[in-house]
Amino acid sequence: MSRLLAPFVSAQTYRAVAFYIAQLVLGVVGFALLLAGWPITLVFAITPLVVPLLIGLRVAVGLLAQAQARLARELLGVSVRTPVSTAGVGFWSRGFSVLRDPLFWKQQVHLLLAWPMALVPLVVFAEVGELITTPIWARWVEGYEVWWIEVDSFAGALLFVGAGLALLTVAVHLLGPYARLSRWLASRLLSGDPGPVRSPAEVRARRLQALTVDALVSTCVVVVLVVIWLLTSGGYFWPIWPMLALALVVGIPGWVVLVLERPEVSRLALGSRVLAIQIGVSAVLCCFLVAVWAITSNGYFWPIWPALGLALLAGVHAAVVYGRRTHRIEELEETRAGAVNVQETELRRIERDLHDGAQARLVALGMSLGMAEEKLKTDPEGAIALLAEARSGAKEALEELRDLARGIHPPILTDRGLEAAIAALAVRSPVPVTLTVDVPARPPAAVETAAYFVVAEALANAIKYAGATRIDVRIGRANGLLVAEVADDGEGGADPAGNGLKGLDQRVRALDGRLRVASPEGGPTTLRAELPCA
Amino acid sequence: MRVVIAEDLALLRDGLTRLLRDNGFEVVAAVEDGNALLRVIATEKPDIAIVDIRLPPTFRDEGVRAAIEARRRSPGTAILVVSQYVEQTYATELLADGRGGVGYLLKDRIMDVADFVDAVRRVAEGGTALDPEVVSQLFSRRRDGPLERLTPRELEVLGLMAEGRSNAGIAQALVLTVGAVEKHIASILGKLDLPPSESDHRRVLAVLTYVQGQPPS
Repeated sequence: MSRLLAPFVSAQTYRAVAFYIAQLVLGVVGFALLLAGWPITLVFAITPLVVPLLIGLRVAVGLLAQAQARLARELLGVSVRTPVSTAGVGFWSRGFSVLRDPLFWKQQVHLLLAWPMALVPLVVFAEVGELITTPIWARWVEGYEVWWIEVDSFAGALLFVGAGLALLTVAVHLLGPYARLSRWLASRLLSGDPGPVRSPAEVRARRLQALTVDALVSTCVVVVLVVIWLLTSGGYFWPIWPMLALALVVGIPGWVVLVLERPEVSRLALGSRVLAIQIGVSAVLCCFLVAVWAITSNGYFWPIWPALGLALLAGVHAAVVYGRRTHRIEELEETRAGAVNVQETELRRIERDLHDGAQARLVALGMSLGMAEEKLKTDPEGAIALLAEARSGAKEALEELRDLARGIHPPILTDRGLEAAIAALAVRSPVPVTLTVDVPARPPAAVETAAYFVVAEALANAIKYAGATRIDVRIGRANGLLVAEVADDGEGGADPAGNGLKGLDQRVRALDGRLRVASPEGGPTTLRAELPCA
Repeated sequence: MRVVIAEDLALLRDGLTRLLRDNGFEVVAAVEDGNALLRVIATEKPDIAIVDIRLPPTFRDEGVRAAIEARRRSPGTAILVVSQYVEQTYATELLADGRGGVGYLLKDRIMDVADFVDAVRRVAEGGTALDPEVVSQLFSRRRDGPLERLTPRELEVLGLMAEGRSNAGIAQALVLTVGAVEKHIASILGKLDLPPSESDHRRVLAVLTYVQGQPPS
């Protein structure tokens, strides 16, 4: 019975339902995008416009795929990240690189599969809803039919309720395997290699170059139009309209580049680049509208309304940014307090260990030696016994100091880095550990140490408490994060508020990272630390 | 017996020199870093080098690297690595060439002077001396491959062999007769599929299998 009901109380079931609802929305958007995007791109295939269209399509597909990957990560627990790459140098090669990118095609397949995949469980659940509510419908709707059978009595309606409950139970049980299929699809179709990274200097140079070209072309167009106007009739100065349009075309990118190049501009806008861009773009648009008003009528000042609308939007955005910044400051204060706290506790523990351990042993050792010195002439045998005692005391002191040093910073981590240190842990484990480490360059020491202690603690817990029979450790770098994940097949039920995990959480958050623990009763347990390391 | 020492802390370097001289060794050089060690091994051709793991300039694992490099340049150079901590990884790397003449001990063991001097002699003569701490690190892990075939008693015997104990020493530690120990050892060598060769070398290979968790390749 409890097995029958288990999926109803499992958070995973509800997460999967949430996943499919969101997936349906994304899938429909993606489907519409592909349906519109490809014909337009193909129509322009013989003009140079095809390149920006392809890049736009690639970015749109990539962003949707990233949203899908994020959903899969948050709700299904797949570790998948999907990059948007539009590499290639030069105009045409960028377009072709989009077409050659296998990830682009895989992401499109995933987008196309998303909505039919999401529809199946949702339709089943809708059907369940219809069946269960049969008595209500049958009461109010004359000649109500379910599956072409007319429901004419209350008992008959109850029969359909029973069928609905049975269908619900089957559906909920099948949801797990179905979600596994979705997980598999996401991990196969979405994960990809981020490709070559452009240096920030290169990106800046390209941005400035593009703006210069934009400004030059616009100026040339204006000059040509004015010349045409002069050569033709004079009269009504019609080139003012293309000039206004081009002012927008130069003004908006110009402002964006200014904000990106000059951090002090964003600082005026509460430190948010997006807000700075929005305010600037709104201002440019307002100027444009006022100019249009001035050229045309000079009558009723209608631009006040769009200006007010834009100001309202900017105000709302500013409030959101302000709120988020306040929240961020609170979070920083809290994590800093946590970090100081961790350090303080650690130092106190070390002090106590030294005081009660090695120091006390050295005092005893000194006493033994002093007594041995005095006895040497009168009682050589007693002196020898004291010396042996002193030697064993010295050994114990050394052992304690070694344990203490290992707890502060394991030597092999200093010597050989994360991979070797974790491999040494894995070798010592009585439970089989599969280790996947993909960290090309050594991360900063603090990040490395935190990752090490997360893995060490997770391994110790899996072995000691969870009764795991296999453990998977994965460490990799993605999107400026070092991700360490430890999954075991043990009994689960780890308490994130327990001492060990809380200490780890503080350690990770002090580095602005995140620790996530998924450990339902009955297992499995997955512990995942994401640590920023640029 | 000619010894060179590589240790950056003067206190320990001088202490170790005195201890070895008092016990009849000839300390021909005491140096501070890995490069100097490689030079004196080349010029002095010592019977054994005693090397600290953490040496200048980076104070990481220079000692292990220098030891491996020294054995690559002149195979068979006996090396005893001493350290404040032991790591199974380093033990594996040091033993990997399967030639013996390797020791890896905690500095604590120097305090048991008689045992330490024994270990130095044994390593210089081509034996092994692994710290009991390494052996116990290896003992807790899961076993697969040929080690799975050993009985718990045989594993104990193999662990003591890795520490470098003689058959008599093993017999004493496990309260067995020497005959029984010899029988265990014969059974271990058989189960580990070691190619027949002279018996000291097979012992080294058995220890290597024990440390690596798989047969030497």
